[in-house]
Amino acid sequence: MKQILLITDGCSNVGLSPVVAAAHAQSDGISVNVVGVLDHGDVGELGAAEIDEIARAGGGLSRMVNMRQLSQTVQMMTRKTVVQTIQLAVQKELKQVLGNGSIEALPPEKRADVVRVIDELGETSSLQVALLIDASASMKPKLAAVEEAIRDLMLSLQARQGKSEISVFHFPGSRHGDDCVMDLGWTSHLNGVHGIFPRLQMGGTTPTGPAIMHVIDFYRQGDYGRQSRDGTDGMMSDYVV
Amino acid sequence: MTTSFKVDLRRGMVVTGKWKQGRYRVERLLGEGANGKVYLVQRDRSWYALKVGMDAVDLQSEINVLQSIAKQKQHGHEPFLFDVDDLYGPDGREYPFYIMRYVLGSTLGDYLKQKGPEWFPLVGLNLLGKLAKLHQAGWVFGDLKVENVLVADYGHVELVDYGGVTGVGKGIRQFTEIYDRGYWNEGSRSADPGYDLFSFGVLCLKLHESKRLHQLTMELLPQNRSAGELIQIAELSPALKPIAGWLRKAFAGQFTDASDASAAWRALMHRRDTHRSSATPGWLKGLVAASAVLLGTSVYWLLRNVL
Repeated sequence: MKQILLITDGCSNVGLSPVVAAAHAQSDGISVNVVGVLDHGDVGELGAAEIDEIARAGGGLSRMVNMRQLSQTVQMMTRKTVVQTIQLAVQKELKQVLGNGSIEALPPEKRADVVRVIDELGETSSLQVALLIDASASMKPKLAAVEEAIRDLMLSLQARQGKSEISVFHFPGSRHGDDCVMDLGWTSHLNGVHGIFPRLQMGGTTPTGPAIMHVIDFYRQGDYGRQSRDGTDGMMSDYVV
Repeated sequence: MTTSFKVDLRRGMVVTGKWKQGRYRVERLLGEGANGKVYLVQRDRSWYALKVGMDAVDLQSEINVLQSIAKQKQHGHEPFLFDVDDLYGPDGREYPFYIMRYVLGSTLGDYLKQKGPEWFPLVGLNLLGKLAKLHQAGWVFGDLKVENVLVADYGHVELVDYGGVTGVGKGIRQFTEIYDRGYWNEGSRSADPGYDLFSFGVLCLKLHESKRLHQLTMELLPQNRSAGELIQIAELSPALKPIAGWLRKAFAGQFTDASDASAAWRALMHRRDTHRSSATPGWLKGLVAASAVLLGTSVYWLLRNVL
């Protein structure tokens, strides 16, 4: 199972529409979840609408949260999306067998069996989550909380029985022309999660769409991503296509 | 993800099960869990608790756990799960629900407020007993917190909201941050008996030192959260000091399971200081302090006048 988790606090303003990019991800079998981080105010109506639409196009969930809820939300969203992804696959199978894909339409006893299978798969199937972090200037004071949320997510994923991996990207890159930079390649350890962000230089633009496309490419070339992890700590090991 | 519930059952409404046609009259809302609302309902002059969920898969997952537990229980136990069905909400949509035994009681926090803190050691013991039974059957409760413990008369304890119950060895399905072992950097989120005992320790702090605990979560940087900080609160608390040693073991995962922990708790209960320190009311201590100050002042004045 593949997921992209986008953490942002506002509107994209450069390049391809993030909604289109999210739809691309969905067609590649990658679910896109979006967390909108609020500070004292809000992300604005435009930002909220965009966040909602990205998730809808990406077949995932969206949620607006403040700093303190970030860890809990990221962890719950990931879990919920795993169940949803499996549920969709199971419903497809059910449609072929029963001609009716809805789990709700089953009587409670049969539903119990189907849900047992969903739970079992949700716990044991392998899972990859690529975290995509908006590192535009306004996000700077929030990055400590983001890092904590990543650590917390790793903790939850490690408790699963199936193989779980995360990778971390941020956008925009510090150099001109970089839409997105990989901070941490696929890993199932907590090492390396700490200290990803403090040295980041915050960019001015918010190329959310291009950054999502970049992560889709990373998924497509899975092996390439694995090789680049050899850069020991994964620190700023720029990933250029 | 949406936790706001659109389904809202009103007093006097009669809901009818779609599959088995069970009819239940709604009395009132009892509480709200992470994935559903619980109502007090009546059927054939008996009271039950009805839990209605938003998501069929989510609620069914919880029902599956309840059914597995029910199967494991030896005969002689009252049945816990009475009915599983779907209902039509006021908005015309279908919602899954299940019917369980209604437990007349108050939440742990309220109970101790009403009946007094002297009930705490016994209630704690009974709660550990409940956890021990679950652990023996291969389950971990997961989302243990003050709100999920109901206490009936004479300290009888009942766990509610089984949404977090997880088979040993799997990832905890549902938890609350401040009760979570991982949040305090003290271990994994895999289900093992120690996970519940850690939460039990936090629950003790939440009952007696709620403000300090809250303050701690606000002040500490995530990487500095540790059991040591929790222990420190316990050491400084008159109510918790007698059980600080027990708490230390619970936070360090040194009990093999809840029955081990419960034996240690029981041994503690029969020591006199456990009761004595909690039996001294705060106002009495204040009075003692005040009279000491008064005495000091009068001695001072006396000496000043004499010399």
